[in-house]
Amino acid sequence: MSTPLDLTAGPASLTAVGEIDMSNAGTFRAALDAALTPDGTAILTVDLTGVEYIDSSGLSCLFEHVERIRLVAGPLVAPVLTVSGLADITRFV
Amino acid sequence: MVDTEPDPLPPVFAAGGDVGRDLAAVDWDATPLGPPEAWPQSLRTAVGILLSSRFAMWMAWGPELTFFCNASYRRDSLGQKYPWALGRPAGEVWAEIWADVSPRVDTVMRTGDATWDEALLLFVERSGYREESYHTFSYSPLRDDDGTVVGLFCVVSEETDRVLGERRMATLRDLGSDPSVVRTEQEMLSFAGRQLERNLRDLPFTLTYLFREDGSARLAAATGVPADHPVTAAGLWPVAKAAGGESVLIDLPVTDVPAGDWPAPPTQALVVPLLQQGGTPYGFLVAAVNRYRRLDDSYRGFIELTAGHVAAGIASARSYQAQQRRAEELAELDRAKTTFFSNISHEFRTPLTLIMGPVQELRDRLGDADERIRQELEVAHRNGLRLGKLVNTLLDFSRIEAGRMQARFEPVDLSAVTADLASVFRSAVDRAGLSFEVDCPPLDRPVLVDRGLWEKVVLNLVSNALKFTFAGGVRVMVRAAGEHAVVTVADTGVGVAEDEMPRLFERFHRIENARSRSNEGSGIGLALVKELVTLHGGTITADSTAGVGTVFTIRLPFGSGPVPAEPVAATAGADPFVQEALRWLPDQESTPAPEVTAAAAVSARVLVADDNADMRDYLVRLLRAAGHRADAVQDGRFALDRVRAEAYDLVVSDVMMPRMDGLQLVAALRADSRTAGTPVLLLSARAGEEASIEGLEAGADDYLVKPFSAAELLARVRANVELSRLRTRHARWRSALIDSLQEAFFVCDEDGAVLEINTAFTEILGYGPEGLPYAAVHPWWPSEDTDAEAYRRVAVFFDMMLEQQQGIDTVPVIHRDGRRLWVAAAFNQVADPDSGRRVIVGTLRDVTAEHYAIQRETALAGLGMRLSQAENLTGALHGVLDELRELWQAKYALAAVFDGPDRAEVTATDPGLRWNDLPPDHRDALIRLRDQPLLTPDGTGILLEHPHGAMVLWLELGADRPFTEQDQTLFTLLAGHLGQGLQRVHQIDQQRETALALQRAILGPPDLPAGFAVRYQPATRPLKVGGDWYDTVQLPDGLIGIVVGDCVGHGLHAATVMGQLRSACRALLLQHSSPARTLTALDRFAALLPGATSATVFCGVLDPDTGRLLYSSAGHPPAVVVDADGVAHLLDQARSRPMGVRGGKPRSEAEFTVPPRATLMLYTDGLVERRRQPLTTGIARATAAILQGRGEPVEDLATEVMTRLTPDDGYDDDVALLLYRHPGPLELEFPAEATRLAPVRSALRGWLDRAGVDKMTAQNVLVAAGEACANAIEHGHRDSPGGKIRLRAAATVDDLHVVVVDSGLWKIPITGETYRGRGLMLMRALMHEITVTTGSAGTTIEMQARITR
Repeated sequence: MSTPLDLTAGPASLTAVGEIDMSNAGTFRAALDAALTPDGTAILTVDLTGVEYIDSSGLSCLFEHVERIRLVAGPLVAPVLTVSGLADITRFV
Repeated sequence: MVDTEPDPLPPVFAAGGDVGRDLAAVDWDATPLGPPEAWPQSLRTAVGILLSSRFAMWMAWGPELTFFCNASYRRDSLGQKYPWALGRPAGEVWAEIWADVSPRVDTVMRTGDATWDEALLLFVERSGYREESYHTFSYSPLRDDDGTVVGLFCVVSEETDRVLGERRMATLRDLGSDPSVVRTEQEMLSFAGRQLERNLRDLPFTLTYLFREDGSARLAAATGVPADHPVTAAGLWPVAKAAGGESVLIDLPVTDVPAGDWPAPPTQALVVPLLQQGGTPYGFLVAAVNRYRRLDDSYRGFIELTAGHVAAGIASARSYQAQQRRAEELAELDRAKTTFFSNISHEFRTPLTLIMGPVQELRDRLGDADERIRQELEVAHRNGLRLGKLVNTLLDFSRIEAGRMQARFEPVDLSAVTADLASVFRSAVDRAGLSFEVDCPPLDRPVLVDRGLWEKVVLNLVSNALKFTFAGGVRVMVRAAGEHAVVTVADTGVGVAEDEMPRLFERFHRIENARSRSNEGSGIGLALVKELVTLHGGTITADSTAGVGTVFTIRLPFGSGPVPAEPVAATAGADPFVQEALRWLPDQESTPAPEVTAAAAVSARVLVADDNADMRDYLVRLLRAAGHRADAVQDGRFALDRVRAEAYDLVVSDVMMPRMDGLQLVAALRADSRTAGTPVLLLSARAGEEASIEGLEAGADDYLVKPFSAAELLARVRANVELSRLRTRHARWRSALIDSLQEAFFVCDEDGAVLEINTAFTEILGYGPEGLPYAAVHPWWPSEDTDAEAYRRVAVFFDMMLEQQQGIDTVPVIHRDGRRLWVAAAFNQVADPDSGRRVIVGTLRDVTAEHYAIQRETALAGLGMRLSQAENLTGALHGVLDELRELWQAKYALAAVFDGPDRAEVTATDPGLRWNDLPPDHRDALIRLRDQPLLTPDGTGILLEHPHGAMVLWLELGADRPFTEQDQTLFTLLAGHLGQGLQRVHQIDQQRETALALQRAILGPPDLPAGFAVRYQPATRPLKVGGDWYDTVQLPDGLIGIVVGDCVGHGLHAATVMGQLRSACRALLLQHSSPARTLTALDRFAALLPGATSATVFCGVLDPDTGRLLYSSAGHPPAVVVDADGVAHLLDQARSRPMGVRGGKPRSEAEFTVPPRATLMLYTDGLVERRRQPLTTGIARATAAILQGRGEPVEDLATEVMTRLTPDDGYDDDVALLLYRHPGPLELEFPAEATRLAPVRSALRGWLDRAGVDKMTAQNVLVAAGEACANAIEHGHRDSPGGKIRLRAAATVDDLHVVVVDSGLWKIPITGETYRGRGLMLMRALMHEITVTTGSAGTTIEMQARITR
C-alpha cells in the first residue's frame, strides 16, 4: 500500500492533495517535471494546501526546481517549509 | 545396545522434577487411587500445586490417605524414607508419629476445618535413629470434584534447628543472668544447677566435679540425678584427660540413669573440662547427651559454652572468697589487738602500783627537798596517773568484751551526780579562758546507774570537750524527756568533719589533723563511753559541725522509786583526768632556765618540738646535760618558725603534735632550700612499719620509737649531727619493707626513668634490679610499631605520671618473656628527701585475668547484640565483623565463605574487598584454614560453619601485631557464638525468603499491558506476606481489567485465600467485563471460601484507547487520578461493602475518563495507613507523590511512590500498588519498507491524539519520526532487506519521547544539501532534543519534544 496522493496539473499549476513521503516522492517528482514547461521560462505554482504531510524526500523534489516554482501551503506544513528555507517562495494561506 | 526413549511422564507429574519421576514410577494400580490417567481433576490439581510449590508440603488422598510429597518436603523431612513413602498410606509412612497426628487428620477429614500446630515435637526416624524434631504445620482439607473431603494437604515447616537453638540460648542466657554480683562457689553452682535443670532435654543430667589439691575429683553439683546415684562416682570418668584440658565423649558406664525429659535414658555423656585462665582446669562437667539428637557441633558447642559459664562462675566465686577471707583476717587482727592490749594492761597494774605507791610516799616525805627533785617527782607522779588511767580504760574494755563487767546499779539523782563530776573541771576550764556552764536542775525520778562507770562517761566527755575547744565554752546539761533522762555535753570546739562522724565511736580511731590541745590519746575514750552507756541501757549520739562545735547526747531510761537524797562526792577517779587536762594548758609550760652544762664531745644547737610539756622538759634537760644547746617549742609550726629564724644543727620532733605534726614539719623544712639540709630526728609512740615508712618517706633522717633510753637518744643525736653532711637514708630498712610488699613497687625520677624496684616488680614483669635504671621508653612497653594502641595507652599513663600529683589506670605491658599483661598501676609524686627533687613512687598489680574476663563478657554481649539486630546473613556478618575489628583494633576483619575449591565469597569491614583483590598468599592462607578443624584458631584465622558453607574468619591486625593466647581463646569463643548465631539468622532469613517467594509466585510475573507499573512489598519487620494483591487482565475488545485487593490477615493462610480470590476475580472479569457484575459474582465465591469474607477489592475495566474507566469498589480505599494539570480526582463512587458481607444494595459501577497524560493509582491500605493518622492524610501524601513525579516514566514513578511513602522503620503492613499512565506507550514493529510509512504515521497520529498533544506539535513529531523511519529504511536496511524497525512513543506530563531503532547501520551526511542531510536537519529543528547512537547492532534515534499545556 502506498501513501495516498492526488496530483492535478492545470495551466501553470500543480495541485497536490494527500501526503508525500519516500514511497511516492517519485510520482511527485514526475508530475513536477511534466508540469514545468519545456522552455523553462514560466513559473509553476505548486499548490500544497491539501498536503497534510511532506518529508525531506518530497522537499528535495521541490529544491530541484526551486528557481521556477512558487508554493502555496497551509499551516500544517508551514514549519517544515520554513525550516527547509522554502518560505520565501511560499505563500501561506 | 539400544537406546530407548523413556516413557513421557504423565502430565500430572510433569512439574515435579525428580519427585515427579519417582511418583510416576509408583505402581498406582495397586493403590486405591488407580492409574493417574483416571484421576479426578481435583486430585490432579492438588498434585500439581504440591509439586510446583517450593514450600515443603505433603498431601494424602483417598480412603487410605495415599501419600504424596514435593521436593522440599523430601529434603527437609522425609530423609531415608524417600522414595519408599510415595504412594503408601500416610499412616504407614509416619507410623512412629501417627498416634500424635491422627487426631488432627481425623478432625480435618470429619469437619473439613484446617488445623494449625506450631513447633510440635515429633519423634521421627529418618536418619537411622529416633530423632527429636519440631514441625510447624497445617492440615487443610482436599475436596474432590463434588466437594466431599477426600484428603488433606499439609504445609510443613521444619523448625527443629530454631527450637533447639532457642532452647540452648535460653539456658546460656539464664546461666549468665545471675543477679547477684558475687556468691560462694556452692551458691554459684546451685544457681547454675537450677538453670541447667530447666533444660532436661539437652542436658538429661549433669555432674560437676572439682579437683582437690591432690588432683582427685570430688562431686560438687549434680542436676537431673540424685547426688548419691551410682553414676556420680568420680572414678567413672576420664579424670586425667579432663585435667589435661581435653573434652571426651564416652559411653555411659552405668545404664540405669535418669532419662531427663525423655522416655529413655541417655547412653552417652560428654566430659568437658572447666578451664581456668592460665592454669589447670578447676574440674570438669559431665553432660549426659540427649539420645534423640546427634552430638553435632552446635550441640557440642552448647555444652562447652555451658562448661565455660560454670568455669567463669567458679573463677569469680573463688576470687570473691579470697577477698572475703582477707577481710575476715583483718577483723580477727583487730580483735587480737584489743585482747593483746588488755592483757598487757593487766600486766601493767602490778608494776604501776609498785611505782605509784613509792612515788606518792616520796612526794609526801620530800616536800621540802630541792626544787629539781620535787619537779622530777611531779613528772613521775603525773605520768603514773596517766598510765594508770589508760590501763584502767583498756581493762574496762576487756571486761565489757568478755561480758565480765560487774555493774552495780543504784537509783541516783542523775543531775546531782553529773553536776558534781563536771564541776571537777571548773578550774581547768577557767584557766583555759573558756566559759563553763553546768545546767543540771534536779530530776523528779531517779536513774539507775553504776556510779563508777557513769563517772568515766562524764569525765571522758568533758575532758574531750576541753581538749578540742579553744574559744567559747563547754556546757553540761541534764533534762527529763519522757521516759528518759537526757544528758548533753556541748562544746564550741573544732568539731568533727562529716566524713569522720561514722567512725567517731570506733575503737582506736583517732581523728587525724584535728586541732587539739594535745595529741596525746589512745583513741579509745569515746569508744569506752559508748560501751558504758549501752551497758546502762542508754544511747549516745554525736552531732557536730566542723569549726562550730560538737554536742554529745546521752539518753538513759528512768528507774522507779524516789530520788535518793544522799550527797554525792567526786571520787578519786577524776584526778587523772583533771591532772592531765591541766598539763595541756599554756601556763603550765615551763621551759627550764638555761643551765651551765658540761661541754659535750660534739656540741650542737638542737631544737626540741613536742606538745607534751613533760617530754619537752625531759628532752631539754637531757640535751643540755649532754652539752648541747637546746631550745623547746610546742608544735611543728613554732618549730618551723624557729628553724627558719635561727640555724639549728638538729631538730628533734615528736610525730604527733597539734597544728603541724612532725611529718608536715619535715616536709615543710625539706621544701625550703634554707632548711632542706637540717637533719630531723622524729620521735613517735607509734611503732610499726607503716609509721617508719611514713617518717622516712617524708624525709626524716632518723626515727626513734618511744620509749627510748636517754643514752639511745643522745647517741642518735650525736650520730645525726656528725653525719649530717653524709646522711644516708636508712636504705636497707626501707628496701626490706618495700620488698615485703605484695604489689610491685617502683620509684622514678622526674624524667620517668625507673631508679628502684622491689621483688614483686621483678616477679610480675620479669625485669630485675640488675638492669636499673630503666630509662623511658621502658622495655616493658608494648611495641609502637606492632601494637600502636597498647603503646598509646601506656604513653598516656606515662605522661599523666610525669604531670600529675597522683593517678591510677589499667594499662597493657609486656613481660620480659613476651607475654602480654594487664596491670593496675598507681602513682604518687613525692619529694626526694635527699635532693628535694620530685620523684614518683608507684605500684603495679597484675590484673590480667580480670581484664580478660571483662573483655570476654563485653565482647560476647556486643556480638549477641549485633546478631540479634541483623535482618539477614549479610547484615549479621557485617555487624559482627565491625564488632571484631573494633575489639582488636584490626586493620580489617573479613569472612570468606567458600563456594568452590579455591574461591570464596568475601565479606569485609573494608567494603571494596573482593576475593580477587586479596594477595595470592593471603588467599592461600585462607584456603589452608578451610582445611583446619572447626573452631581451632590458627593465628588470626579460624574456621566455622556458615549456612552457605565453610567460612574462614580472619583478622588483619597489621604487621607483626601480637595475638596472644588469651586473644585466641576469646576469638574461638566468639567464633563459636558467631557460628550458632549465623545459623539462627539464616533460618529466619530462609523463612522470609520462602514466604516472599510464595507470594511473588502467586502474584505471577509482571506481564503487564503497556502503561502499567505494579509493586508488591511485604511488611518489613516482622516480615509478613499474605493478603494484598494486584492484577491486570486482557479482556476482549482490547479492554483491560484492573484489580487491587486486600484479604484479611497475613501469612500462608491469607496468601492461599488471596490466590483463590485473585484467580476467581480474573475468571469473572473475563466472563463479565463489568466491574459491578464481577464483584457481585465474587461475593458469592467469597461467601464459600473460608477467610475470604471481608476482603476489600477495587475492580475496574479500562478502555486504553479512550481512557474510559468503569469501576466498582468493595470496601476498598478510593483510586486516585492525577491529571496533566496536577488536579487530583478521587474515584470514590460506586462504593459498597467488602466481599462476602451480606445485605446492602446491589453493587453498582461508576465511570471516569482518564484524561491524556493523567496517572491512575490503585493501592492497598498498607501504603497510606499510619497509626494515629486519618486515612485521608495518607491518601493526600500518596497523591502528592504522584503529582511530584508525574514527569517521570511510570515505572520510575512506582519506585518513587513506594520509597517516598515508606515509614521510617519500614512498612508494617504489606502493600500492593498499581499505576497506569494514559495512554500507554505506543509500540510498533514493522518491516523496513517505504510503503509502511503511511500506516505507521497514522498509528502515531492516533496515539498523539489520545495523548492530548496539540496539532502543531503532533505534526512536528510526525515529520521527525517519519524522517527517522525513512532513514532507517533507506540507509539502515538498504543492503539487508527484510529488516525490522521498532518505534516506541511514550508521554509524561510535559514531554514526549520517541525512539526509533533499526538493526542496520547508516551514515550521517555532513551537509544539509542532500535530502537525507535535510531530514536530519528537520528532526533537529522540529524536536527539542535528538540523540543518535550507532553501534554494530544497529542505530537508535531518541527524540524528545515538549508538550505545551
